[in-house]
Amino acid sequence: MTGFVAVLRKDLRLEARGGESTIALIALSLLILVVMVFALDPAGGVRDAPTAAAALWIALIFAGMTGATRVILAERDNGCLRALVLSPLDRGALYAAKLIAAFIFMVIAEVAAVVLMVLFFNLDFDSRLLRLAPIIALGALGFSALSTLLAAISGRIRAGDLLLPLLAVPMFVPALIAGVKASGAALAGAPVSAFAQWLKILIAFDVIFLGTGYLLFDHVIAED
Amino acid sequence: MDAALIEARGLDKTFAAVPILRGVNLAVAPGCAAMIIGRNGAGKSTLVRLLAGLSTPTAGEALLFGLPSRTLESSTRRRLAIVTHQSFLYPNLTARENLEFYADLYGIGDAHAEIAQWIDRVGLASAANARVRTFSRGMEQRLTLARALLTHPDVLLMDEPFAALDADGVALVASLLRDAIARHCAILLTAHQPLAIDGLTFDQYEIVRGRLLAPSAEPLSASASVRQVG
Repeated sequence: MTGFVAVLRKDLRLEARGGESTIALIALSLLILVVMVFALDPAGGVRDAPTAAAALWIALIFAGMTGATRVILAERDNGCLRALVLSPLDRGALYAAKLIAAFIFMVIAEVAAVVLMVLFFNLDFDSRLLRLAPIIALGALGFSALSTLLAAISGRIRAGDLLLPLLAVPMFVPALIAGVKASGAALAGAPVSAFAQWLKILIAFDVIFLGTGYLLFDHVIAED
Repeated sequence: MDAALIEARGLDKTFAAVPILRGVNLAVAPGCAAMIIGRNGAGKSTLVRLLAGLSTPTAGEALLFGLPSRTLESSTRRRLAIVTHQSFLYPNLTARENLEFYADLYGIGDAHAEIAQWIDRVGLASAANARVRTFSRGMEQRLTLARALLTHPDVLLMDEPFAALDADGVALVASLLRDAIARHCAILLTAHQPLAIDGLTFDQYEIVRGRLLAPSAEPLSASASVRQVG
């Protein structure tokens, strides 16, 4: 547990010092939402919950990939990942620390993205956002779990950054559909029972991504 | 003689059909040190990586503490330290923060006093709160030594530890090695050329195109604390 806390604290300290991940994620979210708003309604008069949900999830996906890549790349400097592999730290705990760090960065970016979405899509700051929160949290957790594992794979390959979207997005599509559907319903003011089946699908994919990441991370970071 | 803490048995490593190591055998017991001498590309770094468990042998066994190094338990990995060409230091953390991180990682409780001692010992007291990215290569190497020895390892693998160090730095490494040997640490280090260190006896091996030549157990002596031989 001390190793897990040490790695997580170190990642948060590095982020607090440079702010590279969160600034990049927020800027990316802003860019995507602006593009979506102007693409869909240049007059900015959109008040469409499903469209807002779709824009939010696009921002979530791209921000998540950037966050996970940075969390893993930070360990490539000076061979620090090797030091972690050789340390007494359990590989599962290392994976957990990395994905929690990616999740935290992603949630910070998503909070900013939700605020921007409400403003750009002329929605209201009301209780519907509280219903949206667990959906976004589940999506961020699942995508952090998946993209942290895949970033560890792509980080070992030359130009692996280009490979990450090709691997992550198709694998996340079922969860993405569930997330967009649930978010659209929540923003439209539907009761939780109306989108419960989509939440169950999100939870199921979170379990799959977390389990797969935990089991495979050891093999992924091992060298030949 | 105590059982070897570092051992290679018929170690082979091949990359893309090119043999890098061929049938390497060696053993280092507690309180002993072995020096592997070889040119660039001779296989020194590959041997260190295999012994550390960072790489899988094509054939043979790399053992630490009598166990395959690739599959060491967490409690056994705690007893290993390694110094390579990469410092394993975070550029955006200070020297002190880097050591605090490794102390936490290895579960060294209340390490503040010990970290301060190590920073002082490696001559970085005035740079303790400076970020590592501002360090020269030599300063980074000194902090790397502190990072490795902070955990009081029983096995120390060092790939060219004298690289990038000035005369004082070399004397520092010599002093650290003597202390480690005195507490029965097993040490394997690599170098381009033979070195003699006062108060230390190495089993000296030469590695040539992946083959380890028979050791010279002859103690080396020197008038200076460290000097190149030959």
